[in-house]
Amino acid sequence: MFLARHEMLYEKLRYSLMIAVISLISFLIFIISALALGLANENTEALSSWPTKQVLLSKDANGNMGQSLLSTEALKAYPHQNQQAQVGITPTTLKGQSKNISVQYIGLKSNEYIYQDLKLSSGHKPKHRNEIVVSDKLTQYQLGSKVKLGVSSQTYTIVGKARHAQYNMAPVVYGNLSNWAPIKGVTPNYGGSGIIVKDSSGLKPKHADEKVLSRQAFLNKMPGYAAQNKTFILMIVFLVFISLIVITIFLYILTKEKLNNFAVLRAQGVPNRYLLQNTLGETFIMLLLSVGLASLLAVVSAMLMPKQIPLYFDWQLGLAVGLGILSTGLLGSLIPMRMITKVDPVSAIGG
Amino acid sequence: MNSLLLKDINKTFGQGSATVTALNHINFKAKAGELTLIIGPSGSGKSTLLTILGGLQTPTQGQVFLQGQSLTELTNKQREKLRLEQIGFVLQAYNLVPYLRVRDQFALVDQLTQHHLAPAAFQQITNKLGISDLLNQFPNELSGGQTQRVALARALYPDPAIILADESTAALDSQRVLVVGQLLQDLAHSENKAIVAVTHDERLKQFADHIYELIDGHLTPVY
Ligand SMILES: Nc1ncnc2c1ncn2[C@@H]1O[C@H](COP(=O)(O)OP(=O)(O)O)[C@@H](O)[C@H]1O
Ligand SMILES: [Mg+2]
Repeated sequence: MFLARHEMLYEKLRYSLMIAVISLISFLIFIISALALGLANENTEALSSWPTKQVLLSKDANGNMGQSLLSTEALKAYPHQNQQAQVGITPTTLKGQSKNISVQYIGLKSNEYIYQDLKLSSGHKPKHRNEIVVSDKLTQYQLGSKVKLGVSSQTYTIVGKARHAQYNMAPVVYGNLSNWAPIKGVTPNYGGSGIIVKDSSGLKPKHADEKVLSRQAFLNKMPGYAAQNKTFILMIVFLVFISLIVITIFLYILTKEKLNNFAVLRAQGVPNRYLLQNTLGETFIMLLLSVGLASLLAVVSAMLMPKQIPLYFDWQLGLAVGLGILSTGLLGSLIPMRMITKVDPVSAIGG
Repeated sequence: MNSLLLKDINKTFGQGSATVTALNHINFKAKAGELTLIIGPSGSGKSTLLTILGGLQTPTQGQVFLQGQSLTELTNKQREKLRLEQIGFVLQAYNLVPYLRVRDQFALVDQLTQHHLAPAAFQQITNKLGISDLLNQFPNELSGGQTQRVALARALYPDPAIILADESTAALDSQRVLVVGQLLQDLAHSENKAIVAVTHDERLKQFADHIYELIDGHLTPVY
């Protein structure tokens, strides 16, 4: 590390620029990862809060809960269970004193687990048919506000605000299951859209037109979810790859410039291992500083970012991304290290 | 004992009709406390000879002894250690690490081996070479002559038995050549080193204790 330390201090501008470039790429990777996680969360937050292990819905719905219809008759085949909850989920519009908002209505039964485990940040759970709880992201509505939902002519009163109430990119409105049909505009023959199971007790469909999906399979069928995730993964892989190339090019040029001097050092008896350790050390210091700087930048910009941008940071993600950048960077030092091992000390003596 | 001894050394490059004989049945010795000069025109094999003396290349035929130890019997690692501790190279260019201050050129040796001059002896050398005031400079802040003297100090720092100098006056004017020649002679005598310098520079002859002439790979002792 002796050579690495002195070289970096001597070539301050050169290394600062390099660190700046890697920091910016790393910063971008951090932000995009946080955005990916944040957007994924917008899809899954409510499902995770319940929690959800399995989902039963009608076969025709192709995994999309908003398209699933189960008849009142069919639902009778599934008697009350502690780990199961019937739900009626539909995308709809919330109309009140301010402009219309797209929401996901989730109808619940008050004797089942989702209703009972509901975590509120204010107010209370719905006690009557015309009471609803809305996501605490809907800050434009206060407790006591009167609103309308979908095609139903009923007026609803907001009596509570729920935490972690985001489903398929929209804020959730929780209410009574019996309101689901009028809000969605289907006949009362239909009793709900599906059954959520919170543990792996194992639910089997009781009718031929029904299907049970695992949590992951259900998420992958959720409109937009898989495409979104794949796009982000592609972007992240691409950025990591770019940082690998940038680091490799930089180290290649630096090393090439120093080969004559390395030959002299080798002739003077400096072991190869010592020179390799220095190049590795230099790369490591550079990456560590870059990742550190990038995470600092990411944290600061997350604080300055408008609330609508769903950045979601957690330290596990940060650690994983940081380690990813670090290890690709070290991979980038492989070519320069190979160059060093190929240096012929005889070439130091010329003329 | 001879510090360096070459017995019937041959060095050829290439195969068949393309074979180049760089060194032809060479016998050579150098002793501690003496400056030995190998003088010859360009292409005569001086650099090849120096790399063999320094254990950087092995001869095609013959034996190399350094302090009585046969170099051909050593492993690469042992030869590396020998170069670090027993041989000081003074090379034409790139001799100093560009991003290390003069004092750190020596600190680098401290990093690698316990085998180096004690502080008092080191101070004596830097005084003798007139570089005590240059310790905080970077190589690109030094003049040609100063660089040469720092390179010599760097070569002496591990307290080696042998100093090998390659065309060490090539870049210098007449005045400087005389100074370096004088310096090499002084160091050989006062520090009791075996100094071998290869050069095509006739002006160095006056400082040598022994002179060899190298022409087309044939080495002949002059005195
Ligand atoms: N690695 C090598 N491969 C082929 N020929 C070489 C090699 N090294 C030196 N030679 C040849 O050996 C001869 C002596 O070279 P060198 O020792 O460099 O001479 P000098 O240092 O006196 O100028 C030259 O003819 C040169 O072309
Ligand atoms: Mg030469």
